[in-house]
Amino acid sequence: MLFFKWPFLLFMLVVLPVFFSLRKTRLWIPWLLLASYFFYGWWNPYYLLLVIYSTALDYLLVALMDHCPLAEQPTPISSRIARGPTDPFLRAAFAAAAVLTILLVCGALLGPPSLRPTFAAFSVLVFLMAAGARLASRRIWLFISIFNNLALLLFFKYARFVVQNLNHVFDWLNLSFKLADPSTLMPHGFSYILPVGISFFTFQSMSYTIDFYFGRVQRERNFLRFATFVCFFPQLMAGPIERAKQILPQFQKAPPFELGNIADGLSLFLVGLFKKVAIANYLAIYVDRVYDNPESFGGARLAMATFAFAWQIYFDFSGYTDMARGLARMMGFNLVLNFKNPYLASGLGEFWSRWHISLSTWFRDYLYIPLGGNRGGTLFTYRNLLIVFLVSGFWHGSAWTFLIWGGLHGLGVILTRELERSKFYRDRVPIYAKRAWVFLYVSFAWIFFRAASLDDAKLIVTRIFTTAWHDPRLPALALALILLVWLYEIIYESRVQDLLKFSSLRVGLATFMVLYLTLCTSGGGAFIYFQF
Amino acid sequence: MPAPIETISPPAKAEKTPPGGFEFGATAMRLSARQWLIVIALVALVVTSVPRIWKTYEPFHPGPDYRIPYALSKDYWLYQRRLERTSGQNNIYIVGDSVIWGEYVRPDGTLSHFLTEQSPRHNTYLNCGVNGLFPLAIEGLMRNYAQTLQHKRVILHCNLLWMSSPRADLSEPKPQAFNHSRLVPQFMPRIPAYSADASERISAFLDSHVQFFAWTNHLQIAYFDQHSLPEWTLQDDGSNPPSYPNAYRNPIEVLKQGIPSELANDPDRGPSSRRHKPWTTGGAEPTHFDWVDLDHSLQWNAFQHVVRLLQHHDNDVLVVIGPFNRHMIAPEQQATFEAMITQVQNWLAQNQVQYVTPDTLPSEMYADASHPLTQGYQELARELLTNQTFAKWANRGAK
Repeated sequence: MLFFKWPFLLFMLVVLPVFFSLRKTRLWIPWLLLASYFFYGWWNPYYLLLVIYSTALDYLLVALMDHCPLAEQPTPISSRIARGPTDPFLRAAFAAAAVLTILLVCGALLGPPSLRPTFAAFSVLVFLMAAGARLASRRIWLFISIFNNLALLLFFKYARFVVQNLNHVFDWLNLSFKLADPSTLMPHGFSYILPVGISFFTFQSMSYTIDFYFGRVQRERNFLRFATFVCFFPQLMAGPIERAKQILPQFQKAPPFELGNIADGLSLFLVGLFKKVAIANYLAIYVDRVYDNPESFGGARLAMATFAFAWQIYFDFSGYTDMARGLARMMGFNLVLNFKNPYLASGLGEFWSRWHISLSTWFRDYLYIPLGGNRGGTLFTYRNLLIVFLVSGFWHGSAWTFLIWGGLHGLGVILTRELERSKFYRDRVPIYAKRAWVFLYVSFAWIFFRAASLDDAKLIVTRIFTTAWHDPRLPALALALILLVWLYEIIYESRVQDLLKFSSLRVGLATFMVLYLTLCTSGGGAFIYFQF
Repeated sequence: MPAPIETISPPAKAEKTPPGGFEFGATAMRLSARQWLIVIALVALVVTSVPRIWKTYEPFHPGPDYRIPYALSKDYWLYQRRLERTSGQNNIYIVGDSVIWGEYVRPDGTLSHFLTEQSPRHNTYLNCGVNGLFPLAIEGLMRNYAQTLQHKRVILHCNLLWMSSPRADLSEPKPQAFNHSRLVPQFMPRIPAYSADASERISAFLDSHVQFFAWTNHLQIAYFDQHSLPEWTLQDDGSNPPSYPNAYRNPIEVLKQGIPSELANDPDRGPSSRRHKPWTTGGAEPTHFDWVDLDHSLQWNAFQHVVRLLQHHDNDVLVVIGPFNRHMIAPEQQATFEAMITQVQNWLAQNQVQYVTPDTLPSEMYADASHPLTQGYQELARELLTNQTFAKWANRGAK
């Protein structure tokens, strides 16, 4: 269900009034959860099981973690295994996990062939749980949560890529051995497709267990509330990636109905809708034709399509975020800001503090800092930065092009880090030159992000710099729309930003956007970030 | 002492967070509830007034042989306007599919043209057929875009071709693409061959119930080659790489060009076209049709609804059944076809609807199973005007 399609409007026309009417009862959280599950199930009801599974497991793991001592016990592992847990909850968990492990192993050996891989995978997981319960170790529960979430992500998102590449290596080594396609491991009746939003809800759920492990959040005892946090429908498919400490407190008490929230939510939603439907979908036509067939186009058209893609993905993703935040705001909830005019950044480092902020901060908190951050000298910091950007690239998709995209950003940030900190760069280089440089570099990196293959990316780069440039034929209307938003952003960050506070200007722009959407648009595809 | 932990990339400047902890966003415009009310009022004003104002701005003068041009077949707002633009006691509206519209003939070769030409009472027969229609779509067209068709004399054409197979009847449970899908019932009754998703169905429903949407469709169809404005600016001209001829064109200039009319010398229609030839020319022979039982036919059910709807609007309705090309029906199926005709006649008689069942035209006057050629229309008009029921009905004047 896409935010800009009619069924979603009908969905909201049911969800919102019922939500407001239930807010004085205890049913508002179950209602939000039901709405969120319906929203996800509309895409694929079977894969809803995956969301529920991931949620239930993390809820259980944190509950088990809560029964373990805060500090790891100094006694040797062997004696802890022999002694077993003292907590009755952990003892019961151990017994249940041990029995289940035996059953799953039996299933993996003797069960229906199509289910054996699933039984085998679960037997490993449940065995780890038995070990965690026996050792009463918080660390093992944390490990299981991370292992489980990453396993889901790796299997559904990266397994085919890994298998294909390994098979290439086997071919290269003249080995007859071949790994089977991951689709053969799916239980009967389930197709091997990438579950929409898996990168988002797994990260969100995983952050909760990590934060609980480090004592940064309280355990949420109400399962329905926790499940709603994991799959809150406005941000379920493509973020922003929320933290438990930001959302769970908001779910403790139903927010009051306020007309101001509705007005705020509508304002955010309208701008997001305009970005997505009026601009991103429009640019997509131009970009897709060029990138689907790059060998037919010359340098100017390829370069223009690359710039157009830079805007397309920004309007697409930030449009989605605006709509998500608007929907949540209408209900009285606040989602974090995910974009702050990224193409007005004056440095590559700054770009990443403005683009997909919830992901950048996630990687900062759960990868960069655990790796050591900047605490080990310059080279150590650069290594950590590069790792983070490579992982971030890979998070976006299972292809070498994404890895290169991440690598380019990592290298860019590393190479310009000292320059951007210098007094000369800060004070002497004109702001527009800095912004232009960042936009050009980011756009160059987008080539690898958008190209269908590495060969296509190489071809595009080569042709941009080697073929003759002719009129790129980007429609004047598209250019005007981009410039309109760019101008708005520039004014927003300038000294004359008060201009944008004129009531008549806002009313005029909102009226223009509504009418433009009604008059000039038709159809359009799904959000780009749904595939991540 | 460990170095302070920094962010991967610290923001250039801290944003001010408003009270309540909600950062509104850089490109979002914050409108108050009052401002939203003003926006809604302005939009409502535009939505209700612009289509009406547009009618005074856009020149539209349908002549006596006017028919909705083929390229504008899905412009239902124009169809509505075409009905609004006709007045006069002697007008008789002929409603139907491409048989009435004249698939193989030019505007001066249609049934309406020959009826007007040969009419002894100087009645004007208006071609209100649309290319590609079928009863399920005619029902939608009449229900949503023909409100002005009241207290009028209406000839409704009944084409049994639409009951000639489950596929034509759209009752075959196999999704298929068909014309005028936005006119068919979107939710009830369920059409097994129609597989649009919920969004498309709701959109079609709104198009037919909100004038403004119908008007925007009119603009897209009549001026922008059936595209939205953005798609039009990127319309592919077939060259490689595409040159997008509309990329820098001013859309306002395009709107000034007026509604496109039918091609004066349409190479696909008229006696001189290659398509204008008897059905047997290509070696076709009588065939077996997989006739649908009328009691279970979606199209026949829709046709019945159309008749009732026109009657409900106090129109004086006469149904012309066929003439279907019986030469094309295998001999052993003639009796089945005859039984169908009888069933149709019985239902019309039971509902006090006047009807005429013209004789089958000579074989060489058909282009296919249901479309006559120019000479066929001429012959059909002659036959209708000499038919007593028809003549009596046509001569009694408007209600």
